[in-house]
Amino acid sequence: MEHESPLKQILNSPLKLSVALPQTSHVVPSGPQEAINSVKIQNCVASVSLGCELNLQTINFRTRNSEYNPQRFHGVVMRIREPRCTSLVFRSGKLVCTGARNEHDAHLAARKFARIIQKLGHNVKFIDFKVQNLVATVDLKFPIRLENLNQMHGQFSSYEPELFPGLIYRMVKPRIVLLIFVNGKLVFTGAKSKAEIAESLENIYPILHSFRKN
Amino acid sequence: MKKCSVCNSNEIEIDSARGDEVCTNCGAVLSDNIIVSEVQFEENAVGNSSAVGQFVSADSKGGATGYGKFHVGTSTESREVTLRKAKTGINHLCSILHLSNHCVDTAHNFFKMALSRNLTRGRKNSHIYAACVYITCRTEGTSHLLIDISDALQICCYELGRTYLKLSQALCINIPSIDPCIYIMRFANRLEFGEKTHEVSMTAQRLVQRMKKDSIHSGRRPSGLCGAALLLAARMHDFSRKPNDIVRVVKIHESTLRKRLLEFGETPSSALTIDEFMSIDLEAEQEPPSFKAARRKDKDRLQRLCDENEFTSLQIEIDAALERDLKKSRKRKLPGVPTAAVEEFDETTETDKFIVASIDNVIKEVLTVDDDAKVKKAETNVKAEFKPVVAPSLGLKPDLLALCTVSEKEQADLSMNKNASEVIDDLNLEDLDDDEIDGYILTESEAILKDRLWNQMNAEYLKIAKEREERAAREREEGKPEKKKRRPKKKPIGPSSTALDAIQKVLQEKKISSKINYDILKSLTASTHEKEENDTKPELPEVVDETSLPRPGTSRKTYFNLSNNRRSKVPQMGFPMASANEDDPKDQITTDNEDIADIDGEEALDIEDAIEQEPTESDRLGDILNQGDADEYSGPEEYF
Repeated sequence: MEHESPLKQILNSPLKLSVALPQTSHVVPSGPQEAINSVKIQNCVASVSLGCELNLQTINFRTRNSEYNPQRFHGVVMRIREPRCTSLVFRSGKLVCTGARNEHDAHLAARKFARIIQKLGHNVKFIDFKVQNLVATVDLKFPIRLENLNQMHGQFSSYEPELFPGLIYRMVKPRIVLLIFVNGKLVFTGAKSKAEIAESLENIYPILHSFRKN
Repeated sequence: MKKCSVCNSNEIEIDSARGDEVCTNCGAVLSDNIIVSEVQFEENAVGNSSAVGQFVSADSKGGATGYGKFHVGTSTESREVTLRKAKTGINHLCSILHLSNHCVDTAHNFFKMALSRNLTRGRKNSHIYAACVYITCRTEGTSHLLIDISDALQICCYELGRTYLKLSQALCINIPSIDPCIYIMRFANRLEFGEKTHEVSMTAQRLVQRMKKDSIHSGRRPSGLCGAALLLAARMHDFSRKPNDIVRVVKIHESTLRKRLLEFGETPSSALTIDEFMSIDLEAEQEPPSFKAARRKDKDRLQRLCDENEFTSLQIEIDAALERDLKKSRKRKLPGVPTAAVEEFDETTETDKFIVASIDNVIKEVLTVDDDAKVKKAETNVKAEFKPVVAPSLGLKPDLLALCTVSEKEQADLSMNKNASEVIDDLNLEDLDDDEIDGYILTESEAILKDRLWNQMNAEYLKIAKEREERAAREREEGKPEKKKRRPKKKPIGPSSTALDAIQKVLQEKKISSKINYDILKSLTASTHEKEENDTKPELPEVVDETSLPRPGTSRKTYFNLSNNRRSKVPQMGFPMASANEDDPKDQITTDNEDIADIDGEEALDIEDAIEQEPTESDRLGDILNQGDADEYSGPEEYF
């Protein structure tokens, strides 16, 4: 078996590695950069204005996959399969698109919804497309001592195990809310862009690292 | 001279003996607790002396109370009433929870803080009282759970939790984390252990301590932890308590209790005998159960991935090598520790190795390029990433400086947002598949069917909507005023780079006071060099004092004295002092004065010259403040 030799070499020669890297990195399996790379966006909410008044009733009964129940909600709920997204269409011509996995998908989906409405005979524009919220998760792979974190960062965090198992960290800059769980998993909400998420993770990583258990 | 607040008459009779002020014109009692400057004492029949006067409580704002109250709205202090109500509400809640008087006072003070910060607005009174009491409980460390309070008042626990969090955050009360141990005594008392209550609770305490060491407590309700510990402790002391008994006392679900027990069962401490447990403290602390579960899941996923892929032979080789290594380390490091710990250890070494392997490729790449700069960069990157951790037990503190400063990027963003107003608003149709879109649109006959069904289902709503519309139309015809729309929220003020910038933004946002002479305020922040020069000159700065131009009631704006002969070419009209240099729009503080519109271009230039000649330095605060006679004041005049 000649092919596996490089890997095996690596496994058998940790000394050679420690020359190339400072020893600290050997102890810590992953750094902030790696964590940033493993961030996974779970949901993207975007809004756009179609620039015209819409007749929701006609939109509802001319389309498949749409619901309109004005008693409960004043908008048409419309779904498409590719990308799998849901949108809320309002009479004012505002359209909110949720469920996309990234910004690009959200943009594509919003345009598809707009196109559907255009085909129904509305004079549709596409004004102010904006990502309103991104939800992302990441696993830092080390346990975190939430109590101590809450103690030191009391002005930004709240941790009430009676109400919610995670610690809620309201970062001021960038303005993002993080849910931090004891098993090292993080949820970011309220971000407007991927860069904001990366920045907040960059900020929080050394802090969480200093509160790791063991 | 004081005026009557009701009829504006000047004829007020002050009777210092009775201690009241009465308007002789309309008969209103303006004050029945006059504060006198001299202190008098009187001696009663027995010979004790006492101070003359009436007691004025710290809460009251003075003014007439008691019999002086017949004028509704003149003197009733609504805040006082609110506070009194709060006191009774908090008292009531505290008596249900058996809290001491001290706690009542603390809670009441929290309420006062909340009231003064306007946090009570939009929330139910009962929630605010409960939140105040709960904050007190937490800061005092009493054994009350949030659910006890919500139980006592019959309000939703989570709603109360939200209020409590909002309050504690807004009032900057740093609340210590819950220690589950404090609830054990309380639950133990209700489990009828008789004489052995203390012993059982001590054992339970020890169990909880152990669970805390093994991180079972984090992210879990304290009551669940206490329940599990108490069940174990009861059994250890030969009490037969069923999980149901515990569930009834600690108010958690049975499955939660069972889960805590299983989690404890996975720790090495659970393998000890009772005697061992009471005497031995295991050094090793376990990782939290949820963390272990996550790692297990990862491992499973990796396993599945490997099974699916083809390169199994290589995998087997690696596995074998790892297995050998693991066995070695197992023999070496962990003699006789139960299996759970071993598994945990194995995982970390395993992951370490995988990561080392994955890093290696990257390093090799960097090395083969043989670019010194690149290597250096990589090294510095690594260094930056792994900053030395200061005192690991303490942890890093929040970096407040970084929060307050504005990065260049943010400012660039801000300016870009301003510029980026022109965007194409048309719908871009490229890469949209029309067939797909058509698939979402119903055919004519389908549409008719859906419409019919919808109309059937929403018949009732349509009827109501129609009625509402008709009513609205009728009201419009009758000329009823439409309901006021709420004012839109204020625009958020963007980040500013300096303190001066920030102040100016706030000033633009709302004109704080017309009493401030903004020119001088601006000059305060000018170069310090000039300021020093000015300090040496004893004479007054040439700023015209407002007192020389008393024009009360003519305008709310402050004006320069234009009769000054130096500026006599300027027409006799006021111009807002804040309309400073046009070439520096950032410093400009906008005023909505129409007067400026009357000045034509040349004159406007003259005005500017005049302003520039103005010595702008002054370090006397008194010069910044005008006399204020020209100010608009909405309150009653007697306050002047």
